[in-house]
Amino acid sequence: MTELFLVTAGCFIAVMGFAVLVETPKKYILQAGIAGAGGGWVYFFSIQRGIDVVTASFLSALVISLLAHTFARIFKAPVTVFLIAGILPTVPGAGMYRTVYYIITDNRAQSSYYLMQTLEIAGVIALAIFIVDSLFRIRFRKYRKGTGESAGERQR
Amino acid sequence: MDDKSIANMAVLAGEIMLRSGAETYRVEDTIKHILDTACTACGDASATGRSDNADAVRTESLVMLTGIIVTIERPGQEAVTVMRRVHDRGTNMHRIVEVNEISRKYCAGELPAEETWKKLKSIKGRQYTVWMYNAATVLVPAGFAPLFGGGLREVLAAAAVGILLAIIMTIGKRLRISSFILNMICAGGVAVAAMLLKAWNPILNMDTVIISGIMPLVPGVAITNAIRDTLRGDYISGGARVLEAFVTAAAVAIGAGVGIAAVNVFWQGGGLL
Repeated sequence: MTELFLVTAGCFIAVMGFAVLVETPKKYILQAGIAGAGGGWVYFFSIQRGIDVVTASFLSALVISLLAHTFARIFKAPVTVFLIAGILPTVPGAGMYRTVYYIITDNRAQSSYYLMQTLEIAGVIALAIFIVDSLFRIRFRKYRKGTGESAGERQR
Repeated sequence: MDDKSIANMAVLAGEIMLRSGAETYRVEDTIKHILDTACTACGDASATGRSDNADAVRTESLVMLTGIIVTIERPGQEAVTVMRRVHDRGTNMHRIVEVNEISRKYCAGELPAEETWKKLKSIKGRQYTVWMYNAATVLVPAGFAPLFGGGLREVLAAAAVGILLAIIMTIGKRLRISSFILNMICAGGVAVAAMLLKAWNPILNMDTVIISGIMPLVPGVAITNAIRDTLRGDYISGGARVLEAFVTAAAVAIGAGVGIAAVNVFWQGGGLL
C-alpha cells in the first residue's frame, strides 16, 4: 500500500518534471501531473495484482488518454499538452534498456523476448490512444452537427 | 490584408506549431481555419452564403514533418502559394497552446489580422529559467525510480544520476551537439554513473537506476505523435515520426550499451578502478 502511494507520488513528480522539460504552460502542469499519476497508479496496481506488463501498459495508457482528453475539454487546450507528458510512465524505457542489456551480456533469447515486449507495449499504447481518440471524436461530430459549423470549433 | 499576407500569416502560425512538435493534422487544421476565415472575410463582399464563398475561394494546406505548402486560389487570379521548409523541431507545448489560442480568437473574429500577425511574431520560446529546467531533469529520474521497483536508496541514486544528466545536457546544448549524439552521450553517462554507484554501494539495484535515468531521453513525444498522426491517415508524417522514435530509441540504447560495456571492460581489466 505504501509502495503504491510512493509510486503514484513519484509518477506525479516525474511527470510534472517532464512537463517542464517540454515547456508546458504553467497553468497546465498540475493537470499533466495528475494524468501521469493516474496512469502510474493503474500500471502499478495492475502489476501488483499479477496482471501482465503489456496488459497493464494498455490499461494505464487508456486511463492516461482518457484523463488527457477530459482535461483538454475542460481547460480548452490541445490534447497533446496533457498527453505527451502524461504518457511517459507507460513508455517502454525498461524494455528498451533490458533489450540492450541482454545483447551486451550475450543472452539472445532474453534480448529478443524483451524486444518483442517493447514493441508490444508500444503497440498497445497506440491502441489505447486510438480508442480514446475515436471515442472523443464521435462525441465531437454529434456536437458539431447540433450547433452548426462555426469558426471557433475545431478538433483538439 | 491581401492574399499574400494572409498566406504568410497562416504559414507563420503553422511553422511555429510544427517546430514546437505539434501533430501534423493539428497544424493543417489551424492553417486551414486561418485561411478560410481570412478569405471569407476579405473576399467577395457580395457573397451571401458560405457555399458561394467556398466556390469562389479555394484554400489548401499541405503539411509534412519537414515543410509547409499553402495555396489560396481565386477565380480569375493567379494562385498565391507560400512554401516553407522547417528544419529543426523540438517540443514546446507553450508555443502550441499560444498559437492555438491566438488562431482561435482570430477565427472567432475577436482579433484583427494585423494584431494576430504581431501576436504570432511575439510568441516567446522559453518560460522557465535554466534552474527550473535542470531541477526538472533531476526530478524525472528520481520520481520514476519507485515505479521501476526502487526504494529510497534508488531514488537518491537516480537523483544523483539526474544531476549528471542535467550537466551533460546543459553542456551539450551549449555546444550544439546533434540530438542523436547527445542522446547517446547522455545515456552512456547515465549507465556509467549507475555502474559506478553500484560499485560504491553493492546493494544498489543498478537496473532501476539506469532505467529511471534514461526516462527523460526515451522517445515518448515521438511515439505519441507518430500514433496520432498515423491514425488520422497522415501516413507520411506518421511514418517519419515512427522512424524518429526508432532513431531516438536506438541512440539511447546504443549509448546505454556502450556505457555498460565500457565499464565492464575497464572493470575486468582493472584499468579504471
